[in-house]
Amino acid sequence: MTTPAPLLVSKPAEPLALGVDLPMVDQPAVPFIEIETLRAKEFIPAAKEALGSLIAEQGQAKVIRPVFNWAGRNSLFPLHWGLACCAIEFAAAFGARWDAERFGVVPRSSPRQCDVMIVNGTVTWKVAHKLITLYEQMPEPKWVIAMGNCATGGGPFRTAYSVVPGVDKLVPVDVYIAGCPPRPEAMLDGILELEKLIRERKE
Amino acid sequence: MSEMWINMGPQHPMTHGLWNLRVKIDGEMILDVDPEMGYLHRGIEKISEDRHYNEVITLMDRCCYVAGLAWEHLYIIASEEALHLEAPERALYLRVLCEEFQRLASHLMWYAAFVQDIGLMSPFLYGMRDRDLILDLLQSYTGARMTYEYMRVGGVRSDLPPGFTDRTRKVLDWLNARFVEYDQLCLGSDIFHKRCDGLGILKANDCVAHGVTGPMLRSAGVPRDLRRDRPYAVYDQLEFDIAHADTADVTGRYLVRMEEMRQSLRILRQVVDWLDRHPGPVMADQLPRWLGAPYAPVGNEGYLLKRHYPKGLGFSAVEEPHGEAQAYVVNEGGEHPYRVKFRSPVFANISAARQYLIGYRVADIPPIMGSVDVCVGEVDR
Amino acid sequence: MQPDDVSRVLAPALGPKLLAVEPFAGMAGRVRFERGAALELFPRVRDDLGFRHLSMVGGIDWVDHREVFYVVWSDAAHQYLLLSTDVPADNPRVETASGVWPSANWHERETWELVGIEFDNHPDLRHLLTPDGYEFRPLLRSFKLHEPEELEVKTRHV
Repeated sequence: MTTPAPLLVSKPAEPLALGVDLPMVDQPAVPFIEIETLRAKEFIPAAKEALGSLIAEQGQAKVIRPVFNWAGRNSLFPLHWGLACCAIEFAAAFGARWDAERFGVVPRSSPRQCDVMIVNGTVTWKVAHKLITLYEQMPEPKWVIAMGNCATGGGPFRTAYSVVPGVDKLVPVDVYIAGCPPRPEAMLDGILELEKLIRERKE
Repeated sequence: MSEMWINMGPQHPMTHGLWNLRVKIDGEMILDVDPEMGYLHRGIEKISEDRHYNEVITLMDRCCYVAGLAWEHLYIIASEEALHLEAPERALYLRVLCEEFQRLASHLMWYAAFVQDIGLMSPFLYGMRDRDLILDLLQSYTGARMTYEYMRVGGVRSDLPPGFTDRTRKVLDWLNARFVEYDQLCLGSDIFHKRCDGLGILKANDCVAHGVTGPMLRSAGVPRDLRRDRPYAVYDQLEFDIAHADTADVTGRYLVRMEEMRQSLRILRQVVDWLDRHPGPVMADQLPRWLGAPYAPVGNEGYLLKRHYPKGLGFSAVEEPHGEAQAYVVNEGGEHPYRVKFRSPVFANISAARQYLIGYRVADIPPIMGSVDVCVGEVDR
Repeated sequence: MQPDDVSRVLAPALGPKLLAVEPFAGMAGRVRFERGAALELFPRVRDDLGFRHLSMVGGIDWVDHREVFYVVWSDAAHQYLLLSTDVPADNPRVETASGVWPSANWHERETWELVGIEFDNHPDLRHLLTPDGYEFRPLLRSFKLHEPEELEVKTRHV
């Protein structure tokens, strides 16, 4: 019987997120913990013991933050809503061919369970205040992806009387995805871009 | 009194798009409903007045994003009538090919979303997988997955790539076998019948009074289909049956759409056989230069304004996957249409929501609205 | 059904209020009528001619006047018929068709808010596509499209 490979909490020079091979940025040296060999009850004391001296030395934010970022970027829960055409490609990305869930991306219907809002379509002035409400209902930390040309800058409807020329007029946007609509690959690429941003997140 | 109004939408898993269903409830019973639309109103009719005839095609794809080619077809027929132009026969067959592919893709998208609404999870994956096969075929000759801009006033943009018809036949055979499995998954499931049978009943008379068309009308026992009743393009030369049921409920609409997909396969086989045998031009000769060019230079006022095109009115009606779509194009002689008016089938189908929702329970709303197949893009335009 | 058949049924009842029945490609005809005759015309089109299905209602702004058109369908004849009437621009008002064809309800709401045509006795004339309180009529020719920066003034207030 082979022993399973240990899951790392943090270890420099080893990629943690599946598929993202960025060099680790400004990571403190954290002791190696074999989670698989620990029971849940034993995990927290062990982690405290291992991290405690480090936290005392370097400060809590610097040590916990990479762990927090690692967990956050591998379980991005986007808001489940469809604005326009891009919503169909958004749905296609969760279909059998692209399977976005392998990146930990699971759409949730309640904004209170979400940490990323994918604005997948044309935003009109009529829906603008509803979009802001949904954004404010999402718990911190939260991100916004503007998917497609309409959400980025109005797209083909830029001159229309009822269309917001870009969702960044309403909420801060972290990642823009070009395309009308973007292919599912492009949407997944945008999510990986967002993971890079989260990886470098400090405060 | 425990009556109250609740909002389902604009962000709700039931809506499949941006719209709000205000529901008046007493406990679980639905007393009244009031659909609130317009969250995706992009003013397509107004922007069209500012565009050239070929540039409006771009907006048509985005108008109904699950059936873009059917809407292109609709607009193209109307504007050809308004401009007094005719497309060659091969282009007409290519348009029928597009429209039937689009019907399959749209119904598969509906299948994926609807069946997930009633609690069956794996059909979503099956529906999306088979839809991607259709989109691959469309992509091979239009270049895009969803927004095609393939049809042109006076024909279509390009001909089929080599080997296309053989690939199509393979996909059609594959789909034909898959539809058996689809039916087993749904009709063989108790959950499906408990959540769908006898719900959302809308009888034929109410359908006609409230302007309801498409699979909803055909599920009420009225075999009305514009492809047969008022043939456009080359539908009068193709053999197919009109799918209809008589239960007028959610299950009936499911059966009608599944049968429509089988009939689409039948039409597509005839069309690809015809396309194999009849090569030819796909664009009309003698087009005005600004119209024939795929991308007319917009800023070149010099030759754009020196035309005196005869005025005309164009009307067209197309059996879109959701129902009966119409376009009315007013040509006043300029390079832009003077007025474009579209009739969306889903617009009328939702406007009758009071008729098929009142008296049921709140938990019945997702299957009933799922069976309407809402595409908000074409409702709000 | 030909334009003559349509006018043979409608002319005796409407008299001079029926202006003309013109031929129209792909349709049974285009019926031009005085706007005051709407309530007499609609039931006859539905019951006597058999056009039981109203497909759409729309409006056109011809600057000096406005036009309201109705498209109806007959299941027996498998044909469409276009009804059209002119209303003056300073008093754009016509009787509602929703008493005859219930499907006119939403189409007239849309025509009211986008083209600015008032429908008398409409049961529920409120905004459908534009937000409540939106005061512009976008499909009028006088409403020009602008770059978004100028446009925000027009739309932002809602």
